Amino acid sequence: MAVRSGVVAGFRWLMLRKALSRRKARAAVAIASIMVGAAVVSALAALYFDISIKMSQELRAYGANFFVGADPASPDRRFPAARYDAILAEIPADRLTGASPFLYGVVSLGIGNAVLAGVDFEGMRRIYPYWRVEGGWISVAFDDRNAMIGKQLAEKLELQLGATIEVYAPETGEKAELRIKGIIESGGPEDEQMFVSMDLARRLFAVPERIDLAMLSVVAEGDEAARLAETINSAHPEADAKPIRKISQSDGQILDKIEGFMALVAFVILVITTLCVNAIMSAIVVERTPEIGLQKALGADDREIMTQFLSETALICAIGLALGLALGFALAQVLGQTVFGAWVNLRPLVIPLTAFASLAAALIAAIIPIRSAVRIVPARVLKGE
Amino acid sequence: MFEAAETEPRPADPGPARDRAKSVIRTEGLSMIFGAVRALDRLDIDIAEGEFVSIMGPSGSGKTTLLNILSCLDTPSEGVYRLDGVDVSGMSEQQRAMIRREKIGLVFQQFHLIPYLTALENVMLAQHYHSVADAGEAREHLGNVGLADRADHLPSQLSGGEKQRVCIARALVNEPAIILADEPTGNLDEENEKVVVELLQRLHGEGRTIALVTHNPEMGALAGRTIYLRHGRLDRQVIR
Repeated sequence: MAVRSGVVAGFRWLMLRKALSRRKARAAVAIASIMVGAAVVSALAALYFDISIKMSQELRAYGANFFVGADPASPDRRFPAARYDAILAEIPADRLTGASPFLYGVVSLGIGNAVLAGVDFEGMRRIYPYWRVEGGWISVAFDDRNAMIGKQLAEKLELQLGATIEVYAPETGEKAELRIKGIIESGGPEDEQMFVSMDLARRLFAVPERIDLAMLSVVAEGDEAARLAETINSAHPEADAKPIRKISQSDGQILDKIEGFMALVAFVILVITTLCVNAIMSAIVVERTPEIGLQKALGADDREIMTQFLSETALICAIGLALGLALGFALAQVLGQTVFGAWVNLRPLVIPLTAFASLAAALIAAIIPIRSAVRIVPARVLKGE
Repeated sequence: MFEAAETEPRPADPGPARDRAKSVIRTEGLSMIFGAVRALDRLDIDIAEGEFVSIMGPSGSGKTTLLNILSCLDTPSEGVYRLDGVDVSGMSEQQRAMIRREKIGLVFQQFHLIPYLTALENVMLAQHYHSVADAGEAREHLGNVGLADRADHLPSQLSGGEKQRVCIARALVNEPAIILADEPTGNLDEENEKVVVELLQRLHGEGRTIALVTHNPEMGALAGRTIYLRHGRLDRQVIR
């Protein structure tokens, strides 16, 4: 029985090989169609699985998406700076794009008062890379001689880069003379504030170990930001952590739209692939009509004819799929580098997903030609009708 | 050689010498209607086991239509076709495909060889659909028709006569009970026609049942009986 099956399969393979060899050009076009479809599907699938993390990283360039404030029950509405350090330590380093504590106070600038914030400039620079800065960022964390100032405030005070200004904290009586190192244009309330190092702000406001709040930029997929907030809040009751919903939801919406767009592109490509393969298979069936008529006259039943054409479709699909996966992986790298500036990992799920999509496209494409082949009436085609 | 005796058209008349033989092919009131045309009109014929019958008639008389029904390539519009005593006229395509591969060997005027398969593989194709391809057996059948040395050639490398011999080897490879041939020498020159005629005579001598459609009176006269069709009806028959 096994020997018989082997011989039958062997002869089928011989027929299949020779039938396709005779129609190399058509087979090549069908393989190319499947290859293109498989390449696009696998590239987009690879990106799809990687895009959440890649896009999330990319979107971190648009500001903080996570806020840590003091517990509302806290008497001074502040929380310990040590807690801030502990919270940062709990976030995986590869997920934390940037973070800065904020300590706010009001200072007198001679002609009026302004809000002064003590920050971590290195963290600020990472959180707000889109800020336009005239001059430069303050690069040393303990710099107590330079300040950065919002553009509107600078205009109001008629301050230029390099100008010196005296700040006075009326609550503590502390003073400092500061040189303007950078003028910030954020498009937000920061344009009316002044920024100094955290150490200087603590001295001016006499608040040594507490901060008002912290802004974080965290790479988070889906509801990870919300889960992170829950974790922080349960571990640090005196802190009130929450994702900045506006930003997080925008991230999610953009990701959803991009993923939807990718799915649509993949679907359209698969439809085009299906139509191409269908046209080629139909042409092959028309060309082979006398041959199919003969096979039926010799006793081939419908199942045999179906098996023959399904095998041809499967072989074309397998070759196209193998080539398409290789091409798709390369395409994913090109897209990854071009769009995200990063390599895209080929996740194992991409292979069965692409195989399923390609096989489905090929089989759908083959349905009509196979039906035509099965319906061939040998008596008519052998007469030459 | 029998002396030719022309008879009036009578239904199911295989002639006195064949009365004792088992009927292999029998049609009763067989009709084939294409739109307004009756290609076959209530035809009754009977072919006995081992008989060599030729079917003749002018173009459009229904010869090929009859052969298509006898070979189970087509089904009649009306009437009954019994093959080996079994009514096959109402069978499904699946059942008729089984009968074609089990009981019938077909020889075509146009040869109908698959162009990308060698002579040997073309013969093996019939084995494949029947049971299992056997190169040794297929080669032996090619040897029987004088083509042992052409087995590995493609049809495009064979002459018309050689192609028809491959077609005959393919028809015989499964040892069918009945050989049905449609103008087997229609595309051959005289020399190759002679080879094919000798092959058919040899097959008849071996006891095979043969039904041969032909325009050629000399070919028709090779058969023990000739059935003449006209307008889809049995016109007359000649028994030799």
